[in-house]
Amino acid sequence: MMANPRPARRKQNLLARMGESTVDWKDVEVLRKFISDRGKIRSRRVTGLEPKQQREVATAIKNAREMALLPYPSRATK
Amino acid sequence: MRHYEVMVILEPSLDERNVAPSLEKHLNVIRQEGGDVEKVDVWGRRRLSYEINKHAEGIYAVVDLNSEPATVKELDRQLSLNETVLRTKVVRRDPKRAGARR
Repeated sequence: MMANPRPARRKQNLLARMGESTVDWKDVEVLRKFISDRGKIRSRRVTGLEPKQQREVATAIKNAREMALLPYPSRATK
Repeated sequence: MRHYEVMVILEPSLDERNVAPSLEKHLNVIRQEGGDVEKVDVWGRRRLSYEINKHAEGIYAVVDLNSEPATVKELDRQLSLNETVLRTKVVRRDPKRAGARR
């Protein structure tokens, strides 16, 4: 058998790592962990969240953005 | 009756001590229409992630309340007519899950 060129390194993260199962859109500290330094929302591949949680996080981030708690994606360094 | 969370961003030029009383005035609408205000949480001055109407800061406040849908709508309308209010957001929330964290 050929060795998998990319060894499995799954389940790196989960919201559970922080001991939580849901996010609050007002909780900026937590939400910041789910955006890149450009302000983009991190993909599920990176966050390792369940689909439901990922959707929840995405909505929470979008809500927080509307209230200027988090930045919109931008090219400029923040 | 439903549970709502209303977040308001006020102009930074206001005195933070006056924020709660002036919000109260607006919240009377809720009380008159048979709703009840659970909690008013004034976060205070915070840096905005981007400018809103040329302001770099804003005074944040979060209100938890129970009311009929039409009543919050009216509150939201009245708030947005106020010029010292930079932005508002009404979110419906399951009260069991509503956390008080920032």
